[in-house]
Amino acid sequence: MIEVTEVRAGYGDGPDILNGISLTAEPGRIVTILGPNGCGKSTLLKCIAGFVRPRAGHIRMSGEAVTDVPTYLKVRNHRVGFVPQTDNVFASMTVAENIMLGGRLMERRDRERRFDTLLGQYPSLASKKNRRASALSGGERQLLSLARALISEPSILLLDEPSAGLSPRMMHDVFEAIADVRRREGPSILMVEQNAFEALHVSDSAYVLSFGSVAIEGAASDLLADPAMRSLYLGGDKH
Amino acid sequence: MSDFIIHVTIMSGLYALLALSLNLQAGLGGLMNFGQIALFACGTYGAAIAFHFDFGAVSGFVLAVLAAALLGWAFASVGRNLQADYWGIVTLALAEVIRIIATNEDWLTGGAQGIGGIPPLYAGLDGQTRQLVILATVLLLVLAAGLFCRHLIGGRYGLSIKIMREEPQLAASLGYDTIALKRQLMAVSSVLAAVSGFLFAHYVSFVGPEQIDSSETFLIWAMIVVGGLGNNAGAIVGAFLLQFTFAFIPFVKDWIGLPSEYVAAGRLLLTGGGLIAFILFRQSGIVPERVGGRRYV
Ligand SMILES: Nc1ncnc2c1ncn2[C@@H]1O[C@H](COP(=O)(O)OP(=O)(O)OP(=O)(O)O)[C@@H](O)[C@H]1O
Ligand SMILES: [Mg+2]
Repeated sequence: MIEVTEVRAGYGDGPDILNGISLTAEPGRIVTILGPNGCGKSTLLKCIAGFVRPRAGHIRMSGEAVTDVPTYLKVRNHRVGFVPQTDNVFASMTVAENIMLGGRLMERRDRERRFDTLLGQYPSLASKKNRRASALSGGERQLLSLARALISEPSILLLDEPSAGLSPRMMHDVFEAIADVRRREGPSILMVEQNAFEALHVSDSAYVLSFGSVAIEGAASDLLADPAMRSLYLGGDKH
Repeated sequence: MSDFIIHVTIMSGLYALLALSLNLQAGLGGLMNFGQIALFACGTYGAAIAFHFDFGAVSGFVLAVLAAALLGWAFASVGRNLQADYWGIVTLALAEVIRIIATNEDWLTGGAQGIGGIPPLYAGLDGQTRQLVILATVLLLVLAAGLFCRHLIGGRYGLSIKIMREEPQLAASLGYDTIALKRQLMAVSSVLAAVSGFLFAHYVSFVGPEQIDSSETFLIWAMIVVGGLGNNAGAIVGAFLLQFTFAFIPFVKDWIGLPSEYVAAGRLLLTGGGLIAFILFRQSGIVPERVGGRRYV
């Protein structure tokens, strides 16, 4: 469970990038955040993860106030998994090492079991498990980053554009994987996406940001049906 | 001549400890510490102040090590939100502040005159034997420090540090406490520098502020860059290589008939030139590094 209330945040002495954002992500639900480039989606995730300190407002995880808690404690105490938009793999380590790192706080046996399961789910990673991550394509890095977050069975999952740079086929697989995680493990999933149409299809609800504020919010199915949304963010009349 | 070689080897060994220490910070941790000489100063002044106030050498050692660990911790804490390059500038400034304090607080540090007459190590032994025993001590310490660093870098802790260095945000998102890791690394590596300073003070019997000039920090940097950043053997090789090269500049000078001023200039030229040449043409130095270790997760 993630609860964000009236959060304001920015970088350094700069202006507020987030102008009082509130949202909720419940366990077993996928919440998607949409919006144009530069509107503050990644900043919102970084705020929740603890990389950017909110200037005002509150953040709660599983009912506990965590507004000013540093990232590593959130990760340890609330099992937060984070897939950043950029710099998402350790380039000089192998694929297997990268995935294993995500499970470093787990029992060894659980970690290895999860590792095998994940490699089964992502054959493209399995075939390259002993390669350096620097030798992966952009899409493969994206997958690797997702696998590293999933190995620990997080109870809060923050995904910053998990489908960026993926082929349509791969994108479908990634969204299926995320939907599958929700079904089996039921974490609270907060996902930033540009592929709005595909993302909304697997989501329960969504928020559309504009200039650091929530412009539209609602059930994913309602947003998909909303003609204004269609023309504004979904790009024409697909389907 | 053999006395001279022994002396140069001892000095190389003391610099090797400093280089190993800086290599932990910069090579392993990516911490661009330009104030390394201040940590060495904790060692020299720890020895000198303990002697000056008659506390005895053991308290001097304890003082040196504690002061260095504390200063290293402080380095890591000051400006911990700064980017690596800005942090480097802060460490350079802090080292200068410490040198200026050492120059001006006469009552404590002997001021610009420094503190002389510090008793030599193994004072009971006669000249030649003493040199050899000091040589053996220093070489053993270098070996021990090298093994310690290798153990640290190759183990779980080293992997955490490498992960923090490569992607700090990603490291935090995996549950690593990056600030604590930096502080621990600085504190531990500072102790090595302090040991070097402590031995140096007792070896040359004199401690003064000109020994802790910032140009010395860059000499240590040149050693680890030449040897190969991130590599322990490289740090030791670099220290010996540069010290021996410097030691023979005066002979080369006589041989080609240059005036004496050129000795100091030659040192600077080699330090700067060596740094630039290796950064441009062989960034990995003489022996490169490998990151990894699924085994240790
Ligand atoms: N590290 C930073 N320092 C200063 N400003 C930043 C930083 N990161 C982002 N910004 C600014 O904050 C604003 C929001 O950036 P953010 O990355 O949150 O956008 P976004 O919605 O994720 O965009 P995109 O869809 O392109 O990923 C932008 O104007 C950006 O310039
Ligand atoms: Mg973004």
